[in-house]
Amino acid sequence: MASTAATRAAAGASKVVKPIFSRDLDEAKRRVRELYRAWYREIPNSVALFQLDINVRQGRDKVREMFDRNKHVNDPRVIDMLVIKGKMELQETIHVWKQKTHIMRYFSESQEPRPKDFLSKFYSGHDP
Amino acid sequence: MAASLVRFVRGGLGRSYNLARSACVLQQQTRLQSSDTSPTIRPKDAVAHSQLAAFGEFVAEMMPKYIQQVQVTCFNELEVMIHPDGVVPVLTFLKDHTNAQFRNMIDLTAVDVPSRQNRFEIVYHLMSLRYNSRIRIKTYTDELSPVDSVVSVHNAANWYEREVWDMYGVFFANHPDLRRILTDYGFEGHPFRKDFPLSGYVEVRYDDEMKRVVAEPVELSQEFRKFDLNTPWEVFPAYREPKEVAPKLEAGDAAPEKK
Amino acid sequence: MAGLLKKTTGLVGLAVSHNPHERLRNLYSKILASLQTMPQDAAYRKYTEQLVGERFNHVQTEPDVDKLENKINCGQIEEVIFQAECELSLARKMSEWKPWEPLIEEPPNNQWKWPV
Repeated sequence: MASTAATRAAAGASKVVKPIFSRDLDEAKRRVRELYRAWYREIPNSVALFQLDINVRQGRDKVREMFDRNKHVNDPRVIDMLVIKGKMELQETIHVWKQKTHIMRYFSESQEPRPKDFLSKFYSGHDP
Repeated sequence: MAASLVRFVRGGLGRSYNLARSACVLQQQTRLQSSDTSPTIRPKDAVAHSQLAAFGEFVAEMMPKYIQQVQVTCFNELEVMIHPDGVVPVLTFLKDHTNAQFRNMIDLTAVDVPSRQNRFEIVYHLMSLRYNSRIRIKTYTDELSPVDSVVSVHNAANWYEREVWDMYGVFFANHPDLRRILTDYGFEGHPFRKDFPLSGYVEVRYDDEMKRVVAEPVELSQEFRKFDLNTPWEVFPAYREPKEVAPKLEAGDAAPEKK
Repeated sequence: MAGLLKKTTGLVGLAVSHNPHERLRNLYSKILASLQTMPQDAAYRKYTEQLVGERFNHVQTEPDVDKLENKINCGQIEEVIFQAECELSLARKMSEWKPWEPLIEEPPNNQWKWPV
C-alpha cells in the first residue's frame, strides 16, 4: 500500500494534498518518535503480562526492527498512516486484546529459512 | 436547468428482448411505457422517477458547493455525488431538513476501482421514514486522504466506518473509536482491496511443538490459476457507450453543476 | 387543549407537548432570525423561509391542535416541534458551512463513469 501510494504522491507532488495529521516531515517524524517511545516503555509490561518466552532486550530489538523496516518512507502522509496503524497495534497489545500467538507472530519462529543453494532448492521440491 | 442537471442512465427496459425482431417495437414501448403484456420487464414508474429527479435537483440547488452530480438510475434510485469535504454538511442537511428527514443510515460501504485517480468510492445509503424514500450519497477518496467521519451525524456509522477502515484502509478523521472490526489482530493488509491476493499473505496452523497457532507465508503447491470467468455475453447492455454524442441540452445554462 | 386528553404520542422518546403553539412560535421565529444572516439569493434561505413561513402562519391562525396538525400535515404536533428543532440547529450550522457558494472542486476525470 505504502509504495503505490508513495509513487502516486510523488507523481502528483505539485498538487496540494490534504494532510492526515502532519503538515511536514518533521512533525511526522516527531509522531514516529512518540510512538517508538510508547512501544519501548510498553515492552517490559507486555513481556510480563503475556508471559512471553523472550527477554525485554529481544522485544525491544524487535520493535526497533519493525520501525527500521519502514525507514525508507519519506511521505508525511504515508508515515502518518503507518503511525496510525502502529498505534492501533499498541492499543491492542496494551489492552491484551491480542493473545500470545499474535505477539509471537512477529518473531516468526516456525518459519524455516528459504533454501539458498541449488541442491537444497532442488530437495525442497518447489520454488526453483 | 432541470434537464441538464439530472443525468438519466438509460433504462433497463428490453434487456431480455430479441433485438432483431422487435427493435422498433421496443423503442415505441419504451416511449409509451407500457409493459403490461410482458411481465418479465420491470415496469417504468415515470411518476416516482420524476419525483426523485425533482428532489435531486432540489438538493443540488440547496448545496451547490458540494454536489457534483445528481442522477436517477434505471431502477429509480436517487444518487447524489458529492465532494469528500461535503460529507458532513450534506448528510446533516439531509437528516435535519424538514423536506428531507433522512434519519436512518441503512448502509455505508466502499467500492474499490483501482484504475481511477481516487480509487475508493464511499457510498452512504440513507432512508427517510417520514417520506418513505431512500437516497444514495457517493463520494471518493484515495488510500491516504482521510474522509470526515459521520458518526457525529449518524451513530449507526460507527461500526460501518470501522468496517470500511478494516476492509479498505480508508481513514476516517474524527472517528471516536477507529480500530479493526473483522480481521484478526496482527492481520496485515486490507482484504477488500482489489490488489489483495485471493489466497492472502499468511496461513495459520496449530503448531504442536510450540503449543500455539503460528502464521506462515502462504505456500501453494501449485501456482494459483487465473481462470477466465467472463461470460461471452454482454452483461451490461444498458451501460453501452452511446455511439453518437448526445445533443447538448441548453448549453451555457447550469454549467457548474453539470459534469 | 388536546394536551389534557392526550396521554402519549405513541413514539419512544417523544413526550407530549403541553404548549405546542408557544414552543413552535418560539422556534420558528428563531429559525427565521438565523436565516436573516444568509444572503438573499441562497436557495436554502429561500426554500426554508417559504416552508417555515407557511407553518408559522398556520400556527398563528389556528388555535386548535388537531386542526393545526391536519393543516401542517407532517405528523403529530410533537413531531413537528422536533422537526423545527432540527431545522433550527441545521440553519445555524448552514450559516457556518455556506453551502450556497459555487462548487469547491470538480470531480477528477471519469470519477463517476460507470462501468469503467
